[in-house]
Amino acid sequence: MRARGEVRLVVPAKPEYIGLARVTTAGLASRLGFSYDEVEDLRLAIDEICFAMTGNEGRDGTLELRFLLGPEGITVEGRGHFQALGRQPELSELSELMLGALVDEHFLDGAQGPLFTLSKRHRPGPAKPQEADK
Amino acid sequence: MSGAGTEQGAGGTGGARTGEARPGGEFAEFARDRAPAQREQLVSAHLPLAEYLARRFANRGEPLEDLVQVASIGLVKAVDRFDPARGVEFSTYATHTIVGELKRHFRDKAWSVKAPRRMQELYLRLGNAVAGLGQELGRSPTIAELATELSVSEEEVLEALEAGHAYRSASLDAPAGEDGDALGAQLGAEDPSLEDAERRATLSPLLAKLPPRERLIVYLRFFENLTQSEIAERLGLSQMHVSRLLARSVAELREAAEPRAR
Repeated sequence: MRARGEVRLVVPAKPEYIGLARVTTAGLASRLGFSYDEVEDLRLAIDEICFAMTGNEGRDGTLELRFLLGPEGITVEGRGHFQALGRQPELSELSELMLGALVDEHFLDGAQGPLFTLSKRHRPGPAKPQEADK
Repeated sequence: MSGAGTEQGAGGTGGARTGEARPGGEFAEFARDRAPAQREQLVSAHLPLAEYLARRFANRGEPLEDLVQVASIGLVKAVDRFDPARGVEFSTYATHTIVGELKRHFRDKAWSVKAPRRMQELYLRLGNAVAGLGQELGRSPTIAELATELSVSEEEVLEALEAGHAYRSASLDAPAGEDGDALGAQLGAEDPSLEDAERRATLSPLLAKLPPRERLIVYLRFFENLTQSEIAERLGLSQMHVSRLLARSVAELREAAEPRAR
């Protein structure tokens, strides 16, 4: 997906900061014209994958997120900069299943980075009545 | 809660009782002299009580160290305000003060994340707009369309969405389902495929912990891949409600998979 814009966000790797990732994702997706359904899916997805990175307790360190906006949709790349890795981030069976239903592509590597990628393409619905194509 | 201080032994209740028993005890001395060294000594002697009480409030999404801090503030207040002449045991008095401090901490915390009234109202209007516009357009509306419909900015719509969803079950005393309504009574008979889905959802051990309606929603979204609007339509719920239940269920599943600290 060719990028036409990029936004970066670095937050402490704590659950209370994941909300910022949600808000940022939703804001950018909305800018790309994603529907309410799609925005809600993205919000759940980013939440899920960020929690997989930080764990419910959070970790010491930061979570760096790059939001790449393309003509077809949005890709979020995340990287954890953790002081001590402890339990390696991983996606549970249920998380895998959920992300599969919520986004087009997702990937998490707990050993390298740890890092993740998540992409969702925008599927425009029927033409908007207010700005019908000529 | 009167036995609270006993866990850590003499440092807690025992010391306090001695103070009360004798008129010349530590507390009476402190009440008279107000010497900082005495104060410090009394506080550190009862720290185990503060820690014990803080631990009882752990598991509610706040780090234990923070809670110990809060409890210690309560303890200092208790030491400062305690009047041995009243004939109440210090441990009883301090427990009361410390628990009060801890409760206030949680209340303030909850208050600070609580959505402003304006946002709550916008969230409610948003629910209607999602349903109304969705029907009108025959598809899920965009955030921009919702903003236009409600005469607010896109940012405000997003803010209201964020405010309206309890993504995290912040407190464990809030039980899962708000109503354990029997799903069968609600739908079932009219929609055999739904009944079937309900049965299949029960088969997944992952979902077993959720109340029936939440379980079905999670199942339809993630296993059957229906969209949130489709689920809303099938279950006869508003889409906002489906969003909210879904977000909450996911948070609960996550919580169940990896319970937080002790």
